[in-house]
Amino acid sequence: MSDAAKNRVLVLGAQFNRVEKSGTLPVQEKKSFWKRNTNKLPGSIKAVQSKGSQDHPTSPSSSGSPSPPGNTISSNPEKMRGKIQSFEDYTSKTHDAWCEDDDDVEKVGERVGSVIIQEPTVKVIRGGDIRTGILSRMKKKHNHANDVRPRQAPSSSNKEHTVQPKPLPLPPHAEIQLELQEQEMLKLERFGKILAGPTTDLVILRQYSWSGIPAQVRPTTWQLLSGYLPVNIDRRQSVLDRKRQEYYNLLKQYYDTRHEDIHQDTFRQIHIDIPRTNPLIPLFQQPAVQETFERILYIWAIRHPASGYVQGINDLVTPFFVVFLSAFTDGELETYDVSKLSKDALNTIEADSFWCLGKLLDGIQDNYTFAQPGIQHKIHALKDLIQRVDAPLHHHLIKHNVEYLQFSFRWMNNLLMRELPLRCTIRLWDTYLSEAEGFSKFHLYVCAAFLMKYSERIREESDFQSLLILLQNLPTGNWGYKDVELLVAEAFKLKSLFGEAPKHLQSR
Amino acid sequence: MGTKDDEYDYLFKVVLIGDSGVGKSNLLSRFTRNEFNLESKSTIGVEFATRSIQVDNKTIKAQIWDTAGQERYRAITSAYYRGAVGALLVYDIAKHLTYENVERWLKELRDHADSNIVIMLVGNKSDLRHLRAVPTDEAKAFAEKNSLSFIETSALDSTNVEQAFQNILTEIYHIVSQKQISDTPSSNHPSNNVQTIHVAPTTDSDKKKVNCCNA
Repeated sequence: MSDAAKNRVLVLGAQFNRVEKSGTLPVQEKKSFWKRNTNKLPGSIKAVQSKGSQDHPTSPSSSGSPSPPGNTISSNPEKMRGKIQSFEDYTSKTHDAWCEDDDDVEKVGERVGSVIIQEPTVKVIRGGDIRTGILSRMKKKHNHANDVRPRQAPSSSNKEHTVQPKPLPLPPHAEIQLELQEQEMLKLERFGKILAGPTTDLVILRQYSWSGIPAQVRPTTWQLLSGYLPVNIDRRQSVLDRKRQEYYNLLKQYYDTRHEDIHQDTFRQIHIDIPRTNPLIPLFQQPAVQETFERILYIWAIRHPASGYVQGINDLVTPFFVVFLSAFTDGELETYDVSKLSKDALNTIEADSFWCLGKLLDGIQDNYTFAQPGIQHKIHALKDLIQRVDAPLHHHLIKHNVEYLQFSFRWMNNLLMRELPLRCTIRLWDTYLSEAEGFSKFHLYVCAAFLMKYSERIREESDFQSLLILLQNLPTGNWGYKDVELLVAEAFKLKSLFGEAPKHLQSR
Repeated sequence: MGTKDDEYDYLFKVVLIGDSGVGKSNLLSRFTRNEFNLESKSTIGVEFATRSIQVDNKTIKAQIWDTAGQERYRAITSAYYRGAVGALLVYDIAKHLTYENVERWLKELRDHADSNIVIMLVGNKSDLRHLRAVPTDEAKAFAEKNSLSFIETSALDSTNVEQAFQNILTEIYHIVSQKQISDTPSSNHPSNNVQTIHVAPTTDSDKKKVNCCNA
């Protein structure tokens, strides 16, 4: 499999290079996008979820690779086809905010682009890869033409060793593993093609992303789906440069106000919450990371006075931070030592996280304004939905005086982040970012599916206290990608059956 | 998480309130699970735990609601005051501002909780001796003036945590049992405004009845 797949990647890579051909760059430079991807092919994927993944000792190339996203859903082709059709219908109907944003971004891009387009870095970024762009910028800065290469070249030659299988007969489970790798590779190819531009079709990108984004292309894909990165590849670098600079300016302008009377409560709350953000993940216990979070949250809060900072928003920064960090390292992310990063790299992660967090929160701001109406509305909708789709569960809760508010408030306020391991949240957000209103609407159906998943278990408890203790500590510690995929598939079903048919199965 | 014993004589609902970061969740986890987490996650909305203790040979089950300290959550959390017979109002002895805000929390209780609620002022983090910002005497005087009971605790080194819960539950128990006496002979159906306190028979069979005070 590896030979075939490798060939495909090489062919594809060549195609990209042709697209990217500018004549001003050395060949090796232009290939860097693909180099990076090939060096990170399933052989070396080290995504956040590596703990939950199935390593296979005989196949080093599979180490740390996630269970292939979309596997669960796509295992039934009939079902999958139905799903995609209706999903296509759905996305085609809801093609809105992203495009407006892009138009906006493109206009500015046109303004700035004409100047910056001359820089070699922009050509590199054409592949849709941020890290390559940043690395080459750093290289440029240091004026050492070969700074970047030593890092990439050895790993790509490593790949030669690891990906090429020995022609020995493989045990059946190893073959399955390889098949999964092949699917993974195909998936990566599809993403590579669409990300490479010249203009990324967001409708297609959302379709691909819905069932999981390969870790290698997740940073770029999330930025595109968030509406942060423009679809037009020529404008990406200039927009990134501009937005990052804008963020640094905001910091310069406002960060010193954090001790002023009107803002000190906000900053104090953020400052209290930061050490309590994912306290068990070493990455977030590093002072440099905590300071980054404080700045992001503070600047966001004072620019959004209607809600300000609300506890829980701190959690929402973490997926962005981890995913954007993943563009800079192949290593384990949750234990990554950020002092290994250059200051520039950390700054870009911070700025990108800030803007993407802002895009997310724009869609769910009523979750955090006074009296949190968005959450109250969704809790009510959750109750209504469960009543229709799982009446026994609903009646069990009511019979024991359990109110939905008592357990689902946190689900809504923190987008289930407190209930799921971080690796699962990241996978879940692949789907949320692909949905037109993922965080604001689709999340409701995910919560319903989540509750129903434990329906039986919940109905085993027969008094208020044990019910509530269970509901506040649902056993998700071992969850992996597969569980999330089942969850979003169920949620999609609920949305299709009930979301657009409010009377369906309505009692009375 | 609490006791496995489902039999109890009394079930009391108690809320933990106070500013963010004063250690409410750790007081709760120290009391119900004997655990302390230096960097526990912030509480979102409310969290819940139970534990039973013995007072006068009676089993008292405490149903404790730990609330989020941030202002924004007040609209949501005040709903949880309903039916509460006790409140631990917690501040941090090392952060004067959290003590200053006690007044605001008392107002919250006056606005949303039952007027008979038993309130205990708790100065937490007493282990931070060198950082103390609120003198014990000052807080004690304030508590007396406002008819609150008072105690200083440390969830970190366990000082007085057991005592704090024991005290407030005993106080509630005494009020309830006195009420029962004064209300006799119809002790099972208190005629006055004690609807917030449900007196459960010792048998297990009436658990459901007891649960109606969760509302």
